[in-house]
Amino acid sequence: MDTTFSQAAWLIPLFPLAAFLLLLAFGRSSRMIGVLLGSVSSLAGFVLSLLVLIEHMTKGQHDYQYAVKWIDTGSIVFKAGFEVTNLTALMLVVVTAVSFLVNVYSAGYMKGDERISVFYSYVALFTFSMLGLVLADNMLTLYVFWELVGVCSFLLVGFWFSKPEARAAAKKAFIVTRIGDAGLLLGILLLYWYMPDHALDFVRIGNAFEGGTGVIAASVTTWIAILIFIGAVGKSGQFPLHVWLPDAMEGPTPISALIHAATMVAAGVYLVARTFDIFQASQTAMDIVAYIGGFTAIFAATIGVAQNDIKRILAYSTVSQLGYMMMALGLNSMTGGIFHLFTHAFFKALLFLGAGSVIHAVHTQNIQEMGGLGSKMKITAWTFGIGALALSGIPPFSGFWSKDMILNIAYHEKPALFVIGVVAAFFTAFYMARLFFLVFMGKPKGERHAHESPPSMTGPLIVLAVLAVVAGFVQTPWNDTLGNWLTDGAEQENGGGGLVMVISAAIGLLGLYMGWLVFVKGMISRDFVSSRAPWLVRLLERKYYIDELYEAAIVRPLRALGGLLNGIDDYVVDGLVRAAGGAAFLIGRGGTRMQNGQVQTYGLITAFALVILIAAVALRRFW
Amino acid sequence: MLADLPILSLITFSPLLGLLVLLFLPKQRSRWIKVTAITATLLPLLLSLWLYADYNGVKGGKPYEETATWISTSLNKEAVGDVSSYTLELQYHMGVDGLSMPLLLLTTIVGVMAALASVHIKKRWKSFYIWFLLLEVGMIGVFLARDVFLFFVFFEMTLIPMFFLIGIWGYMNREQAANKFLIYNGIGSAIMLLAFVFLVATAGFRADPLPDQQQMHLSYSGSYDVIGSNLADKDAYVNMPQLAQGADNPLYLSDRMHWVIFLLLLIAFGIKLPIFPFHTWMLKVHAEAPPSVVMIHSGVLLKMGAYGLLRFGVFMFPSQTHDWATVLAILGVINILYGAVLALVQKEFKLVLAYSSISHMGIVLLGIASLNEIGLHGAIIQLVSHGFISALLFLIVGSIYARTGSTELKDLGGLARSMPFLSGVLLTAGMASLGLPGLSGFIGEFLSLLGLFDSMRVITGIAVLGVILTAVYVLRSVLGITFGAVPERLAAVRDVRLVEAVPMIALLAFIVLIGVYPAVLTEPMQHGFDTLLQQLSEKAGR
Repeated sequence: MDTTFSQAAWLIPLFPLAAFLLLLAFGRSSRMIGVLLGSVSSLAGFVLSLLVLIEHMTKGQHDYQYAVKWIDTGSIVFKAGFEVTNLTALMLVVVTAVSFLVNVYSAGYMKGDERISVFYSYVALFTFSMLGLVLADNMLTLYVFWELVGVCSFLLVGFWFSKPEARAAAKKAFIVTRIGDAGLLLGILLLYWYMPDHALDFVRIGNAFEGGTGVIAASVTTWIAILIFIGAVGKSGQFPLHVWLPDAMEGPTPISALIHAATMVAAGVYLVARTFDIFQASQTAMDIVAYIGGFTAIFAATIGVAQNDIKRILAYSTVSQLGYMMMALGLNSMTGGIFHLFTHAFFKALLFLGAGSVIHAVHTQNIQEMGGLGSKMKITAWTFGIGALALSGIPPFSGFWSKDMILNIAYHEKPALFVIGVVAAFFTAFYMARLFFLVFMGKPKGERHAHESPPSMTGPLIVLAVLAVVAGFVQTPWNDTLGNWLTDGAEQENGGGGLVMVISAAIGLLGLYMGWLVFVKGMISRDFVSSRAPWLVRLLERKYYIDELYEAAIVRPLRALGGLLNGIDDYVVDGLVRAAGGAAFLIGRGGTRMQNGQVQTYGLITAFALVILIAAVALRRFW
Repeated sequence: MLADLPILSLITFSPLLGLLVLLFLPKQRSRWIKVTAITATLLPLLLSLWLYADYNGVKGGKPYEETATWISTSLNKEAVGDVSSYTLELQYHMGVDGLSMPLLLLTTIVGVMAALASVHIKKRWKSFYIWFLLLEVGMIGVFLARDVFLFFVFFEMTLIPMFFLIGIWGYMNREQAANKFLIYNGIGSAIMLLAFVFLVATAGFRADPLPDQQQMHLSYSGSYDVIGSNLADKDAYVNMPQLAQGADNPLYLSDRMHWVIFLLLLIAFGIKLPIFPFHTWMLKVHAEAPPSVVMIHSGVLLKMGAYGLLRFGVFMFPSQTHDWATVLAILGVINILYGAVLALVQKEFKLVLAYSSISHMGIVLLGIASLNEIGLHGAIIQLVSHGFISALLFLIVGSIYARTGSTELKDLGGLARSMPFLSGVLLTAGMASLGLPGLSGFIGEFLSLLGLFDSMRVITGIAVLGVILTAVYVLRSVLGITFGAVPERLAAVRDVRLVEAVPMIALLAFIVLIGVYPAVLTEPMQHGFDTLLQQLSEKAGR
């Protein structure tokens, strides 16, 4: 057999790992070493990933899997390995591409931060972990990297650790995703004991569940699917575990682009796609995925309308778009989910990096304090505009094609979700219009010395803008390239969604138009809603009070329980121990008291004891 | 070459060499004393590493064992049946197998690190290190002894040095803590001794025919192998009811007696482990003993409880363990959740770690309760892993206290700015503690849960909640110390010195090594451990 690039795919994560280790050892010696190692290692990974992808596109390369022993308890072996499929090849390119661009961008954005080498080492560790997650050939290996990306996310959210908000956000990110991870862990335990031969690799999982062969009982399948989905819900910020993602915006903006928009948060979608056979074997699980996804899409989009922090708006947008992806998966379209993941990775990374460029210039994140930046930051404004159009689903930008595909499927499968998707699309366009017009149009406020960012930052913006325009053409209603390739022809897109396409484009344009009317023309007053239904605005601003709810329903009771148990531990459990000790002491003292050297006392005790003894012997008869 | 040496005895008693030198050093020469003591802890480490290397090579070969008769007295006892004479033989019997090898390595490694960490000790170095080295002899002996009385002697040998180490070099309430430690553990030891006496007096006999072939000679011993095989063999004298014997069987161990001994052992080792509600003594030790002593205490001494439970409870009484697997699992879950919830509200970092130890020992109980290959491997890996992690955490506690004079969470904060190295190590140790894959904690936790899941789904599901709570309390305390704004008072503290950094890096290296390449532990465990497992599954009637 000829050696192929796929066989060398295990090298891809090793580049950033090497960068991480080198930075760990020598990071303190120079400030430039981080930029250099980070960029070079991710570029190397990107080149190799691209070769792997090309190989998979042109030659019809077969999946390649290789695994080694990891945990060996004698008769039971857990393996660790990698597998290259079309899906993983695509993900590899997305991850390495965005990672490389973010590495370059950060050279400008993080310039002047004294811990820039630490930053780059974390990014390298993250890239390694994310690539490991993508390449993993079995559930256990995937779980290992799944946790590692979580830790990297945590480290980077808390990068500016002196800020109390960053500390709180990092903690929250870790703990909330950990709830999901516990679900995933249980899913793996269940899978292990039910799989034939206790296999955990995706190939055999696929075989066991494919086509509902009944190797594994239906109820168990549903349980496994739901538990895995809980993991995905945590990682991909789906309702009700979405609360960490907006707070994670405390991290440096390049991180928001890389981890909290393009790659890690999409890992949940990837996980569901990777174990799609399990989900397909359980209609219940599929429905749950679809409805949670659809609900999250509209839920987060409405919150996005009322936020004022530029990054939080984008974060809620990410939550909402991930909801679309989940919805597509739940509607039995892997292509739809992955396609949207693919386009979203580029245009959302673009939007975050654009937002970073803005923040870099004006040093605030509040869009109410910005304005008129379009003339001062032409590249940022133009590229951000392209990203906004792609997100809003305006043809021919990439987001239009992927969102249209999802809506088209929903239209055919579950009309209710189609309606939800369309309404959410309207809000999406509206909040992006609001964001864009408030930041780039109108009169300048506050910071008057805003200027365009350095080329290291605008360069990645331009590259991503190009991708945001063209990435959608891999899959259009007339051309099933991606779907055919990804699912081996299993998913044929039901074309001819002309009506859906018109609706989808129209609703996006309507949202933008409304935004234009409100925030540029002023035809509709900005407080049109807040003057009529202040509670509604408050509700959205407070994000439906979900955080408060969790605080009251989980955090406080848990703390109270801790306090209560602490008291019990001290006074009851240890109290009994002390009481036992005290009793022994008292008995001893009593004994001492009796032996006081007075014959009268001894006589009394002796007589008393004799009475008891006689009574005992006498009473024993009646027993 | 190694087989010709009494390597096990050398490992056990090599610290005494250092002790001997220490005795002749004037007590003012603190540098000499420290160097001697640290060197003395290196001896057993190097020897046990040598053993480890050799051990893996001779797979399937003769296990390392050393025997000598220690005490032998003839018993003046009436002749019963064919038996005409009796002797009591207590053996000096040392051995190493897949169960003790990982713990031996843990002990010798943590021993060196704790000796290094004792540089923070401020007074009476000479007597400190003398007790320290005696303690190490006791710990190593516990894991190698193969005779119940020898085991008991070594077990007791750890109590007395610990008593003085806590009582003299501890914090404010050190004497109270030392008393509580000694008395509580003394009760545990008494219960253990009772169980052992029962065992020796019934199951611990070997019958040899006398030269005349008519009469038998019965020798009682505390040999682990003899007791184990007598208990395991259904047709052994000890397991044959009086009626089946036809005549009086003085050695008969009724089913009820099996249970009594099993429960006595469970309580005795449960105190040490500790199992809720027998845990309160160890909170005091964690809080009051000097950090380097807690490294030993939390890192190694608690493991003796689990080791004893496994070796004497589980492997000698498999059917009792099997019947009580659910109880053990429930106790484990209580430990996990109770420890975690309490760790959540502690205000003192050392107490967070103490409750965290309770929680992590619960995972060991889960692994034991699974009674299968996966879970028991998980339990032992969890033991070793927790040993390294808690040793590392208390090493850090020592360094923090030496600089800030406090380990109250409210006094600390923002250390990542002034002490980036220490904070990084603390964060990594915290991650290991909460079971991050790639570090040792995950392997033990995962295998224990996976093993238990086979037989007890719901209990495992509840135990997984502990995974979440662990993350909460670890992050609360670790981030409270390292992240956030720096209090004025701590702005100028210096990062760790080389002598502190070396043990930190070494312990971290082992944590990473086990996490990435668990074969370092699972491979030596294949010796003897697999046969134990096999016996267990046969005897448990599975």
